[in-house]
Order: sequence, then C-alpha cells, then structure tokens
Amino acid sequence: MIEEHVKLVLAKKVDVVKLTKEVLAIVKKLDKEYKVYAEISEDLALSQARALAKNPKGRFAGVFVSVKDGICVEDVQSRASSKILEGYKPPFSATAVQNLIEEGAIIIGKTVQDEFGFGGFCTNVGLGFDIPLNPLDKTRSVGGSSGGSAAITALASFPHIALGESTGGSIVNPASFCGVIGLCPTYGRVSRYGLIDYANSLDKIGPIAKNAKDAALALEVISGYDKKDSTSSKEKVPIYSNLKKDVTGLRVGIIKEAFGDDVSKVVKDSINKKIDELKKLGAKVEVVSLKKNIEYGIPAYYILATSEASTNLAKYCGMRYGATEKLEGSFNEYFSNIRSKNFGEEAKRRIILGTFARTSGYRDAYYIKAMKVRTIIIEEYKKAFEKYDVLISPTTPMTSPKFSEISKMTPLQHYMADVLTVGPNLAGLPHINIPIKTKDMPVGLMGISNHFEEGVLLSLAEVLTK
Amino acid sequence: MKFNTDVVIGLEIHIELDTKTKLFCGCSTKADKPNSSTCEICLGFPGSKPVLNKKAVDYSLRLCLATNSKIASELIFSRKNYFYPDMSKNYQITQYELPIGDGGELELSTSKKVGLVRIHIEEDPASLVHPAGMHDSAYVLVDYNRSGRPLCELVTQPELTSPEEARDFMKQLINVLRYLKIFDVNNGVIKADANISIKEGDYNRVEVKNITGFKEIERALNYEIQRQKQVVKEGKKIILETRAWDAQAGVTHSMRSKESEADYGYILDPDLVITDITNEWVKKIKDELPELPRDRAKRYVSEYKISADDAKVLTQDYDLAEFFNAVVKKTSPVQAARWARRELVRVLNYNNLEFSESKITPDGFATIVDLYDKKKITDNVAKKILEKLVIEKFDVKDYIKNEGLGVVSDSGKLEGVVKEVIKNNPKAVEEFKAGKGNALNFLVGQVMRQTRGAASPEEVIKIIKSLI
Repeated sequence: MIEEHVKLVLAKKVDVVKLTKEVLAIVKKLDKEYKVYAEISEDLALSQARALAKNPKGRFAGVFVSVKDGICVEDVQSRASSKILEGYKPPFSATAVQNLIEEGAIIIGKTVQDEFGFGGFCTNVGLGFDIPLNPLDKTRSVGGSSGGSAAITALASFPHIALGESTGGSIVNPASFCGVIGLCPTYGRVSRYGLIDYANSLDKIGPIAKNAKDAALALEVISGYDKKDSTSSKEKVPIYSNLKKDVTGLRVGIIKEAFGDDVSKVVKDSINKKIDELKKLGAKVEVVSLKKNIEYGIPAYYILATSEASTNLAKYCGMRYGATEKLEGSFNEYFSNIRSKNFGEEAKRRIILGTFARTSGYRDAYYIKAMKVRTIIIEEYKKAFEKYDVLISPTTPMTSPKFSEISKMTPLQHYMADVLTVGPNLAGLPHINIPIKTKDMPVGLMGISNHFEEGVLLSLAEVLTK
Repeated sequence: MKFNTDVVIGLEIHIELDTKTKLFCGCSTKADKPNSSTCEICLGFPGSKPVLNKKAVDYSLRLCLATNSKIASELIFSRKNYFYPDMSKNYQITQYELPIGDGGELELSTSKKVGLVRIHIEEDPASLVHPAGMHDSAYVLVDYNRSGRPLCELVTQPELTSPEEARDFMKQLINVLRYLKIFDVNNGVIKADANISIKEGDYNRVEVKNITGFKEIERALNYEIQRQKQVVKEGKKIILETRAWDAQAGVTHSMRSKESEADYGYILDPDLVITDITNEWVKKIKDELPELPRDRAKRYVSEYKISADDAKVLTQDYDLAEFFNAVVKKTSPVQAARWARRELVRVLNYNNLEFSESKITPDGFATIVDLYDKKKITDNVAKKILEKLVIEKFDVKDYIKNEGLGVVSDSGKLEGVVKEVIKNNPKAVEEFKAGKGNALNFLVGQVMRQTRGAASPEEVIKIIKSLI
C-alpha cells in the first residue's frame, strides 16, 4: 500500500497538502472516539506536506507516520505519556524519526502508551491521559505499551505506519490485540537515540503496519548504525522489502511450553490452524522445548527492566524540563514532591521494585542473578536456532481482555501476561506479531528468528497473511 | 588493617583530564559563560545517550602505565545513583565493578612507594554556585559547563603517615600528570578527599572532602589531626564521619555520619557497550607514552653526566625540569644542574615559593651559571644575584656591570685595595704576623667588603701574603 502511494507522490499525482489536511481531520475524529493520540502534530505535518508538494522525494514520500509518545520528535511535545514530562518539547528528533522525515514521511502525531512503557494493556497511561479503546471493541484493551500506535494502525484508512517500542513485548502485544503486524527488530538494529528510556539494554524501536511489506519498507528506513547510540549495530541493512513468498523447507520450531493451560482455546486453535497451513506449504515443523525461558523469563525480565528503569526515571525531578512546582524546601523535598505528584502508580511501583533489586545486600540475589539468567536464556535460544529458522508461539495467551477484566487483575497477573514475549526481548531477538482474524477478537501468532534475521519473519508474515 | 603509625592517611584524588571534549558528548571542556558548553547529553535530556570519548581512556591508560597499575581487560561503566541538584541524570556514570587500573604505586620524593588501590574514569557533575556564599544563599544556581567533564579518580592505600607526605604525594602525582600531558595545571582542577585517623583515636576514620591542590591538603590534614587530638583529649570518641574542608575558614566541619551514607545501587550502564582494552591498544599508548620523571632523570645522567641525585631533584618538578632543558642549551649542564638543585631550590624554599611562582628565566639563570663557570663572577656574587633573580626580573649582565660585581681580575687594582686595607688595619696585620689565622680572614673580609664580593678570595689571600 505504501509502495504504490509513494510512487504516486513522487510522480506528483497526489495533492499531498490536501491529503494531509484530510488525514488530519480523520485522525482528529478517530482520536476523539478511540483516544489514541497524546499529541497531534498538525503544524509539523502540514509544513512537511508543503515542502514535499514543492519537492517530492524520498522512499517514504507522503507516507503518514504516527510515533509512540516515548520516541522524541523535535519541537513536538513528547512525554512518554507521563505527566512528569508535561510540556517537554525535545530539541532533537530520535534517529529513527529523523530517518523517516528525511525520506519524506509526514509525522501526524504522538501515540498514547503505558506511562514510560510500563504495562501490557495501555491502562497504565500517565496521570491526565485517556486510556485508548480497541478499534474492534471499545470495551477492550488495545494492548500495550505501544497501544496507541497499534490502534491507529488498525484504524488508518490512509497510507500509514506507526513506530512502536518494545522492552518486554510492547510492539507485538498491542499488534496482537489490534490485529496488525508489529515487528520488534534485533536489539541494536534500530538506533535508540531519542528514545525516552525504559530499560536501555532491552529497548527497541520497530514498525507497526497493516501488512508485512509496509513493515519491511519502514524497517529499511529506520535501521542502521548510528554513532549517537553506542549499542546500535554496524550489521549491513538488507533490502527487507524483497519478501520471499515461499516457506518450502523453512525449519519451524513450535515452542512447547507456550501452549499450556493458561493459553485460551481460541488462541491455541487459531495458531494450530496456521501451523497446519505452514506444513502444507512445505515448512518443516517440529516441537521444541524452551523451558528455561518460559520458567525464568518473567522474573529475570522484571528485575532487569525495573532496575534500569528506576535509574532512568531518576532524572525527572522538576529541574530542567517537564512538570515544575514553586521552588520550596530543600532539594530532597522538592524532588519528592514533584515525583509524588506526577508519576502514576505503576511508575512508582517499578521505581521501588527496581531500586530494591539493586540495593546492596539484595543486588547479588536479584540484579546480578537476573543478568546471569539472561545469559542462560540467550544460550537456550541460540541452541534452538542451530536447528530452526523460526520459533513460533502465540503472542499473548489470550485475545484482548475487557477493561472490566483488567481492573480485577493483580500487578503480578499483569506481569504474567508478558510470559511469551519477554524471552525474545531478553535475548534481543527479532520477533513479529502475525495477526489471525477470528470471528471475535484477533489472535496473534508470534514468530521469533535469530539475530538480524528479520527478513525470515517478514516473509513468514507475508505468507501467513495472504 | 593493622596500623601502628601515629597518623594514617589515604587519599582519593579526582583529576580533571585535559581533553578537548567532555567524556560522553562533543561539548568543549573549556567555557567561560555559565551553561554555554552544554547539550542534550550533558544536560541529561530524555532520549539522549552517552558516547564515550576514547581520548579520556587513552589519558587514563597513560596514568595506569606510569603508575605500574594492572590494566583491566575490559572497559565497563556503571551508574552510581543518588539524587543531588548538580547531577543532570541523578546518576553519575563511573566505573565500579572493574576499574581501568588496579594496584600500582607512586614514588614520593623520599623514594617511599605508596600503593594505589585503583584508578577509574568517571564524569564530573555540574557545579553549584551559591550566590551569597555556602551558608547564606537562599538558592543555588547550577552551571552545567562542568557536567560530563572527564575525571580520573585515583585511590591510594592508607599508607601515608603525615600531612607532609600527603602533600608530597599530591605534588609527585601532579608532576607525573604533567609529564604525561593529561592535566592542565593552569586551568584544570585536582581535588582530594582524605581519609585520616590517628593512633590516639583508635584509628577511627574520618573522611575530609573537597581539598583542592597540594598546599591545601597539608593545611587541612594538620587541622584535622589537631581537631582529632583535641576530641580525644576531651575524653570523647572520634566518630566515623564525613567532614568538609573550608579553605577560607581553615577548618573542617561535619557533613554526615558514615552510617547515614547513601547506598548507590550500582548497575551497569546499558547505554555504553563493554569494550575490550586490547593489547594493541595498550601497546599503542605505551609506545606513545611521554617521557616520565624517572626516565628523564636517567637520561640527564647519561646525556649530561650530572649526578643521579641532582637529576632526581630536577625531574621531580616538571617546571624545573623543563627549565633545566632550556638552560642546558646555554651553559654547562653539570654546573647548571648543581646550581639549580642546590642554590635555586634553596632560594625557593627560603622564599616559600614553588618553582612556577618564581620570576627566574632560563636566560638569566644560564647567564649566572655561565659567568660563574668562566670565573667572571664569584660564588658569592652568583648566589646573591640568584637570590634576587628568583623574586624580581632584571638583566643579569647589566646588573653586574652597573653594580661593579664582576670579578676584579685587574690585579693592579686589587693590589691597591689590599694595600689600602693593610694600611688601615695595622693591628690585624700585627696579629697575622704573629700567626693568628683569624686575622687573615678578617683582612680578606675587609677586601671583599671593599670590592663588594667581586674579588676572588684565593687571589686576595695570595696578594695579602705577598705584601705582608
């Protein structure tokens, strides 16, 4: 869809300014209904459209892009959906955003997320933010934390991709709940520069799109080494959009532990049907056990992610940007006041958890041990990839729950919803949500591939969504 | 640890490395206007990421090599977490698990070797400005120009036993840093935190923070010893605490007790990849390592045939050594070394000046040494001129000419002076004839006075003896 549109724009067969005005009108209306945006960047979009109309160029010419709130866009309020960043307009754009802009993309807004990425249902939005509603059923969650990005992608009737960000599953999870493609690339594939950190050793920016081809095109533009992010990779960026439409001989491992009693029937049935389809198409399918990662993934992930998050969030203290108060009392009193008033409940919980896990006396038992577990989990995957090209599991154990169900869940039940996605995130492995339509809410099939093998996932998605 | 000396001191020294840019961003380390050298990284803006300045690592490796420290195989950075208004991120990027340098030692001027615990790299916080002074300001201002400047922290073993030794350690360290060309002595800051305990206080350790420069360290520690002695004398216990040195008031005051110290909750900094410190890297630094004091001393001995003792003293002060380098191009190295080491150092000590504070120039000094060497001025005159040259600027040759201080080599003229003295001191002449040794000295002294020291004493004695 993007490819054809870009051709038309470059050939000046589209009135980009007119289209942009129409799109802005649509997204404003959608936002009223579904609460997907934290900020609509009307001025920026129009100025980009005008420039493009004069001089159409770039691989993303005239494509509309929604950006997760936690990914900085220069001069557009970027808050990671937290009240503590009220009014913060970054003086620079994230490298991924900058790459898209340079290729002619039109940035239409910042999408709502769980505050700083802390959630799987987009119900942990910061104070003062509305919870986004699922496009397919407004009583249900869009998933999280990149919920707004997934929802607007499902809703978009125009050439569009969204940028999401995943720390423990925040791209594939909302993509699953909203029935779209969500691709979380290899750690380091896409520069994190300009991404408001949740947990730096886990954070990855990736595209959310209506189809595999669009996701591939977006990944091509945002990937690559960036000297401003030491953890970005120098690995060459392949032409992801040359999708292979054939799975003959593809070695597929079905993750045994991902089909336990906690996984709902509709999810199991839907995935099994797709597995049968793969077999028919000539894939070599086997069952593989990844016991350690299912058993220890959640605790290791939450210890490491909250440890890093608790240090990342220390900088928000009302001094240099974001929420401020009248300067009163000692700095300790002032910082505490700002942080107490402006962080949401889950942010506070994770700060406390993470601070505990790295406090001397507990550091070895939690933080250091979790790092060791992470290495063991990576080794388990690496072994599996000696035999398989792709591993398959459901993305989430259930389809999108109702808000009424979510409100009854304990924090631990919330965390357990990530059980299938934390593994590839801890290991920095690329993974994709491939949507499966059902008569109710969509099911998500998750494919995981070896480091820098995003192409395998995109091809699989192309085949399974046709 | 078992101690037995009266005083036990260990130092933690922060050295500002003289790199062009900051440790994790491209901002200049030099700035005049407050907050003029800042960016999203050193201001800790959300989304910014640090990128390591390899030059700071190179410089730290130089210090590791110069102190014979064991160099780590990997470069790892951690986050040290605490809230403070001078911290842009409320954590400081530092090295915790694995410092770049481990062990090592530094030699004092007395040849005593002081062990080092570790050397690590970290970023400097911003500076806080108290507009109405530390205690009376209603608010503080933050200047982020310093935020993110590269520091090298060096921690010693508790092996120093007096404030003088602590001062000497700092002085020798600064000297090495200057040889290594990693510290700007004029604009850079070097700060020490000192752990100090005394025998009478059962070696209960007190940390004195914020001491700048080597003169201050001696003052601060002398004060602290006296304070601790007084506490013991009053029958009280010395409590484990952190105290701040107030250089203006010349006192230390309590900041906090050790028990209430922060838990820094260190984690690895996940924004900075773990980098191998390869053998090739270390070798490159080693190959390019500037000449160290001990190497220069050896070179002086072999190249200029000066004594090992002279060479050691000269090279222990970078400025003095550089001065010597300039002087030897103009005059006899052996005489220059002898005069610099004995006389120049004596005059500096007498005036309580560091070499860098003196007015002496290589030209002036070389002229004195050269004139002495060629017997154009006497030992006495040379010393007197040197004394003057340390504290004021003037042209040596003009001065000698104007004051008539050149050796009175005209023996006819000198004979006239001696005759005059003999004529005016008949009593001394009689005594001399009677064999009293003191009488000769008296007569020589009179001649020297008349010639204002410009005569050679040997020559004078010769003439006196020939005339009486």
